[in-house]
Amino acid sequence: MLQDTSTPVATFMVTYHVGSRNEAIGYTGSTHLLEHLMFKGSRNFNKEKGTAIWDELQSIGAQINATTWNDRTNYFEVVPSEHIEKAISIEADRMRFSFLRDEDRQPEMTVVRNEYERGENSPFDVLDKNVWATAYQAHPYHHSTIGWRSDIENVSTERLKEFYDLYYWPNNATVTIIGDFKKETTLSLIAKYFGEHEKSSHDIPRVYTEEPEQQGPRRVVVKRSGQSGITAVAHKSPPGLDNDTYALQVLGKILCDGKSSRLYQKIVDEGLATSLFMYDFPFKDNGLFITYAFLTPETDNQKVEEIILNEYSKVANEGVDQTEIMRAVAQIRATVAFSRDGSYAVASALNEAIAIGDWEFYTTFLDKIKLVTPSDIKRVASKYLIEDQSTTGWFIPKNSEK
Amino acid sequence: MKFKNSVITDEPVQGLSTFVVPTQVKDVITISGSMLGGMLFSNNNKISSLTSSMLDKGTRNKSKHEINNQLESIGAEISFISSNRHINFTAHCLKPDLDTVVQLIAEQLREAVFPEDELDILKKRIIANLEISKDDTKKQALVNFIREIYPEGHYNSRNTIDQAIKNIDVLKTDDLVSFHEKTFGLGSLKIAAAGDISNDLFSGLIKTHFDGWKDQTVKQLEQSVSSIERKQSSLNKNINDKTSTDIYIGQTVELSESSEDYLSLMMGIYILGGNFSARLMQTVRDEQGLTYGIGSTLAGCSYGINGHWHTWGTFAPDLVDKGIASTLEQIKKWYDNGISKEELDAKKTTINGLFKVSLDTTGGVIDKILTNAEKGREITYLDNYTKLISELDKNKVNEVINKYIDPDKFITSISGSIA
Repeated sequence: MLQDTSTPVATFMVTYHVGSRNEAIGYTGSTHLLEHLMFKGSRNFNKEKGTAIWDELQSIGAQINATTWNDRTNYFEVVPSEHIEKAISIEADRMRFSFLRDEDRQPEMTVVRNEYERGENSPFDVLDKNVWATAYQAHPYHHSTIGWRSDIENVSTERLKEFYDLYYWPNNATVTIIGDFKKETTLSLIAKYFGEHEKSSHDIPRVYTEEPEQQGPRRVVVKRSGQSGITAVAHKSPPGLDNDTYALQVLGKILCDGKSSRLYQKIVDEGLATSLFMYDFPFKDNGLFITYAFLTPETDNQKVEEIILNEYSKVANEGVDQTEIMRAVAQIRATVAFSRDGSYAVASALNEAIAIGDWEFYTTFLDKIKLVTPSDIKRVASKYLIEDQSTTGWFIPKNSEK
Repeated sequence: MKFKNSVITDEPVQGLSTFVVPTQVKDVITISGSMLGGMLFSNNNKISSLTSSMLDKGTRNKSKHEINNQLESIGAEISFISSNRHINFTAHCLKPDLDTVVQLIAEQLREAVFPEDELDILKKRIIANLEISKDDTKKQALVNFIREIYPEGHYNSRNTIDQAIKNIDVLKTDDLVSFHEKTFGLGSLKIAAAGDISNDLFSGLIKTHFDGWKDQTVKQLEQSVSSIERKQSSLNKNINDKTSTDIYIGQTVELSESSEDYLSLMMGIYILGGNFSARLMQTVRDEQGLTYGIGSTLAGCSYGINGHWHTWGTFAPDLVDKGIASTLEQIKKWYDNGISKEELDAKKTTINGLFKVSLDTTGGVIDKILTNAEKGREITYLDNYTKLISELDKNKVNEVINKYIDPDKFITSISGSIA
């Protein structure tokens, strides 16, 4: 809970500790499909009673939605403060009393399939899925959160219900409330509405699949209609709560964030790409440190790949200087401050820390970033950005116009 | 939040108005500003956007690397962009860095030098992005739709992508220098700031860094309200290897934001497709499962210009015909039978609640204030907005739907793998 009375608005969020890492072949995308079905009605909030979830919340001006990712599913409402009880009552009701009817799954499956189809329109989305699927072979990060198309189409309602009954319990969820609310009243409301649920009678299943050690570089090429190429260079990174995460976050900024970053100057400023970015999201298990370059039409994928790898080698061999670290830390410090502008922004960032297993990751992140030294950067570059841990992806366009 | 009490308006320099909103957010300050000089202010509409994009490429006293280093060493961001009428800028920074950021905004606006080699690289990147957008089903469907409903040269019309590329390609440094010299300056400049900030500090910085700048020579453009003939037609654009198709359906409307019917029509269209609980999402998505997203909106009606309304949605290629038929059926029901009082009451609460929720961030607050000021409205308009929404009448909403919408003259634009 974090109180902030600057505007009469509060965000209520429930984070379930279940994401696409809890899926396997045959029901990939189930966490996400289930998230959609959770809006179709529950015991007290449904169309038949004239209390449909979207109507109840949007009629009070709430911003509502839910998202699914690798390690978690979150449901949230940004509400005028006087309506926080409505958000709490709805989330509590659907935690255990969601309908999950087959007649709802049928039309919702095609909705989700169109969401998948929209993603497949994007060369970047397709390449990103391919890079993860190549980098991870055994671990469920192999498949994206949206899942494989045939699983979206064929997973049964019964399987989704099993999934719900395994994971949607108060002992597998964390509630966050940020903004303008009265602490005692809100805690009473949470006790009133969520208090009717017992904890699960079973242990929440844990994911025990580990990715075998990668023993050589991997490569994936996607050829499809398009206008220009994309080069992706990915390396396995440690779990989010590993101490090396902080140095890798700083290194990502030094390499790719901003117009004075190393790769921006060598690739975008030279007209080889229209834009460039990298991500290394801290996940519960290992992640990927990925740089993406969106190439200008005449640029060769190989050339940009070499520039990226050369820069990685340079960092591993020569390190970085303190000025670059100071710039990166300043950027992260500002990003952290900006991410506390508004109750939803705070809840959303906190939600990701909750998902990887320690909410204090959010509150201590900046302090640990400030401790990163040039030798830390050199060490993590040498440890993680090595050829045998790499997966390279190319998108090669075929002219699409008729 | 009462805007009248919360917003401190000032004019620290003649021709430059400021709007400051201190909030309880810690350390963070968001700035947003604009001045006349957008894409409508020259024959080649890309001059303005290219000029804006070149502002961070060097000034009389700083190279682009020095600008970037200065900003990034404090984690601050400044970006410039051109809209139809304005040159806009936004900035984020932490409280101790406000002076640096205001100084850099002023320096880039006042003393940009447009190096030729930088212009060549930027043109190459922009043209590449335009080429890439030929593969974007949504962009293609929208551009074709807009070009079909508005005549060539209309304020709301758009270039084809090839025309946009040509417009970029022909521009030289001299064109940008001349546009900058003629257009940039004091007169219509407005800057809003919100967050951990005081008006005294902000006004002082503005005075320090903007005082003595020349006056701009451009004035607000005359409005064009001539009637546009409407017709029924359908446009298809094939793009290979696309698993989802984008569609736009709509037409021009003879009304602008200054019309007394505007809010009623906006509400009517919101009830049709403004959010998830609106009719199109509830039927075409929720009941029939034909789309991930569909909605409708009223657009292009600012500054006395008559605009248009449209519905936008996505469908799998084999569901396009069914999806369009279902969408048109909902639009017909809406047009023939009108909206109910219950729908109107629910959406009044929605819009007024969203207005409140949108003020949860510093960006949300200043966006409302700046847009309101650009349109020449008093700050009290924002305080009265929810009242104006609450007073909307069901019969009036239904009357304006029938007055401005003509279901026999819709333009439909489809883009995707539909060959």
